Amino acid sequence: MNIETFKYDNRIVRAFAIMTVVWGIVGMLVGLLAAVELFFPGANLNLQFITFGRIRPLHTNAVIFAFVGNGMFMGIYYSLQRLCKARMFSDFLSWFNFWGWQLIIVSAAITLPMGFTTSKEYAELEWPIKIAIAVVWVAFVVNLFGTIVKRREKHMYVAIWFFISTAVTITVLHVTNSMTMPAGFLKSYSMYAGVQDALVQWWYGHNAVAFFLTTPYLGLMYYFLPKAANRPVFSYRLSIVHFWSLVFLYIWAGPHHLLYSALPDWAQSLGMVFSLMLIAPSWGGMLNGLLTLRGAWDKVRQDPVLKFMVAAVTAYGMATLEGPLMSIKTVNSLSHYTDWTIAHAHGGALGWNGFLTFSMLYYLFPRLYKTNLWSTKLANYHFWIGMLGMIFWIVPIYVAGITEGLMWKQFNHEGFLQYPNFLETIVQVVPMFKLRSIGGTLYFIGVLMMAYNLYRTAKVGEFEPDTEAQAPALEKAAVAPHGKLSFHRLLEGKPMFFTVLAILAILVGGMVEIIPMFLIKQNVPTIASVKPYTPLEVMGRDIYIREGCLGCHSQMIRPFRSETERYGEYSKAGESVYEHPFLWGSERKGPDLAREGGKYSAAWHYTHMENPRNTSPGSIMPAYPWMLTQDLDTNSLPMHLAALRRVGVPYAEGFENGPAQRDLQAQAEKVVADLKKDQITCDASKEIVAVIAYLQRLGIDIKSAPVAAK
Amino acid sequence: MEEKIICSMDGVAIYGIISICIFVAFFSGMLLWAFTKKAGYLNQMASLPLDGGETPSNDQSNAE
Repeated sequence: MNIETFKYDNRIVRAFAIMTVVWGIVGMLVGLLAAVELFFPGANLNLQFITFGRIRPLHTNAVIFAFVGNGMFMGIYYSLQRLCKARMFSDFLSWFNFWGWQLIIVSAAITLPMGFTTSKEYAELEWPIKIAIAVVWVAFVVNLFGTIVKRREKHMYVAIWFFISTAVTITVLHVTNSMTMPAGFLKSYSMYAGVQDALVQWWYGHNAVAFFLTTPYLGLMYYFLPKAANRPVFSYRLSIVHFWSLVFLYIWAGPHHLLYSALPDWAQSLGMVFSLMLIAPSWGGMLNGLLTLRGAWDKVRQDPVLKFMVAAVTAYGMATLEGPLMSIKTVNSLSHYTDWTIAHAHGGALGWNGFLTFSMLYYLFPRLYKTNLWSTKLANYHFWIGMLGMIFWIVPIYVAGITEGLMWKQFNHEGFLQYPNFLETIVQVVPMFKLRSIGGTLYFIGVLMMAYNLYRTAKVGEFEPDTEAQAPALEKAAVAPHGKLSFHRLLEGKPMFFTVLAILAILVGGMVEIIPMFLIKQNVPTIASVKPYTPLEVMGRDIYIREGCLGCHSQMIRPFRSETERYGEYSKAGESVYEHPFLWGSERKGPDLAREGGKYSAAWHYTHMENPRNTSPGSIMPAYPWMLTQDLDTNSLPMHLAALRRVGVPYAEGFENGPAQRDLQAQAEKVVADLKKDQITCDASKEIVAVIAYLQRLGIDIKSAPVAAK
Repeated sequence: MEEKIICSMDGVAIYGIISICIFVAFFSGMLLWAFTKKAGYLNQMASLPLDGGETPSNDQSNAE
C-alpha cells in the first residue's frame, strides 16, 4: 500500500477563525447600538450614517455574512481537509477566498451606512459588490470541489454533502435574486417587480437562512460533534435521510414570509405545508446530534466545547419547531410584522449559529496552537453569561411581539379599534426593548471573554502552520482486483453526480413555485388607475430606500378587518406592478404606509421628519434633519429613469432628457407651495420635498378611479 | 381571485400531479436507498471523522 504523507493547511483556518471573532464583535456591537436606538432614538447623535434604518442591514449582514460566514469557512477549511485526507486543492484559491470575503465585508461596512442599498433583505449590497461576492464564492466552490476530487478517502462523509449543497444552492440563489439593472455606480433597480420580486426575494431570503446559516452548520455539527465527543454520530442512516429531506423540502418554504400578502393564495399554502413538513428532518437532525452524546453526558458537564454544542443543537431544534408553527397562517396572522419574528431569528442566530461557532473556536484554538485552552473556567463563564444573555434577549422580545400582535387586533365593545393610534402599541413595548439591550450586552460580554481566552491560548501555545498527515493514495486502493475497471474514475465522477442530484432536489421546489408565478404575470389583475411614479416621487422613493425606511414600515396591508380599519383598503397585487424593488417590508416598528398618501398634510410630514417627537410625542422614530438641508441629486435622475424603463416601467423614450426635469421642478414647486400654506419655507431643491411627494402618492392610485380588472 | 387565476391557466392540473409524483418518487427512493445500506458500511462512514489521518505526533484529537 502506497502511504502518502501530506500537510493540512492550518494558516487559512486560523485566518478565518480570527476574523470570525473580529466580525462577531463588530456585528454584535452594531446590533447593540441598533437595540439602544429603538428606545433612545437620539443615540445616533443625529448622524445619518448610524441611523437605525442604515445600521440594521449593517448588523444583519455583519452577523450573517461576516461572523457566521467566516465561521463557516473556518469550519469547512478545517474539516474538509481532514475528511478528504488532502490539503485544500489550491492555497491561492483559499487566500483569494479569504481576502476577497474580507474585502466584501469592508465594502459592506462602508456602503451600507452611506445609504447604498438595494433594500432587499440580506441582499442589500449594491451590484458591484454582488459581482464580487459571486467571484469569491465561485473561487470557494472550485476549491471545495477540487479538494473533493483529489481526496484520499474514497467515501464522502455526510458533512461534505451539506457543504456541496451549500456551495451550489447559494450560487443559484445569489444569481437569481441579484438580477438588477444598474443605474449608476452604486445604484440599481431589481429586474423583477412587485409580487414576482417579493416571491424571488423571499425564496432567496428564506433559503439564505437554509443554505448559509443551516446546511453548512449542520455539516459542521456532523463533523465537530463526533470529534469533540470522540464517538461516531448516533445514526448515519438518519443523517442520510436528514440531508436529502432537508435540502428537498427547505427550498419550497419561502412563501411563508408572504402569508396574507398580495402573493397568490396557492403559493402561500404551498409555503405553509412545506414549512410544516420541515419539522421532521430538522428534528431528525437535532436528535441525531443530541443522541450522539448518549452515555457521554458526563463529558458535557466538563467540556465547554460540548456544552456550547448541546445548547446550539437544542436551539436549532427549538427554532426549527417554532419556524414551521409561525408558518401556519393563523399563527402568522398574529406573529407577522411583530417582534416575534425578531425573537425567532435571534433564537437561531444567537443559539444555533452563535453557540456552534463558539464551540468550534474553543475546539480549534487549542489544536491549532498545540496547547490546552488557557482557561476552561472562563469558557464556562462565557457559556452561562451567553445563556443568560440569550434569555434576557429573547424572552422580552417574545413578550413584545405577542403584545404588539394582540394590541393591533384588539377591538372594543363598540366595534372600533381599541388602540387606533399605532404609537400606543409601540410605547407599550419600549420597556421590553430596554431589557433586550441588557440581554444583548450580556451576550456581547461573553464574546469578549471568549476573545480574551482565545488570545491567551494563542499566546501560551505555538502555532502549527501545517499538520502532517498520512493516508494511502486512492488510486492504488481503488483499482478493482481484476484490474479491468479503475474504480477511482467512478469515484471521481461521484461528487459531480451527487451535485447534479442535489441541484435537482433544490431546483424542483424553486421551479414549481416560480414558473407559475411568471405565467401568472399575464393573469395578475392589473389596475388601470395604477400609474408609474413621477420623477420627483422616484427620487423620494430612492431616499426612502437609502434610509432603510422599510426596516420599520411595511407597505402591505393584509386583508384583516383590524388592518383595513387602521390603514385602509387592503393591498392588491396589481398595485405593485411598477415597484422595482417591492417595498412591502417585513416588520412594523411604525405604522404601515401603503395608504399613507393624503392622510397628513405636507407640513405634518416636514415637521415629523425634522423631529418625529414634534408631531408624535413618545415616537421612537429617528429624526431626519439632513433631509431638510441636503439637496436632491437631480443629475442622477436620467440614469435612474432609463434604468427603470429598461426593467419595464413605461416611461416614454427620451422622457428623462428634459421633460422629466421640468416635471420634477413643477411638482416640487407644488409641494413647496403646500408647505407655504402652513408657514413653512422650504427650498424646492431639498430632499424633503421629494420624500413628501413620494409619501403623499402612496396608495392613492386606486382611490382616484374605480378599480378596473382586466 | 386566486381561483380564477389558477383556472385560467392552461393545463394547470398537471402541476399538482407532477408535484405529487416528484414528491412520492423522491422520498420513496431516498428511504429505500437509506434503509438498504449495510450496517458495516454505515459504521465505517460514521467513524470517518474520528480518523483525520494525522500522524500520531500531530494528532490532537483527544487532547483536552
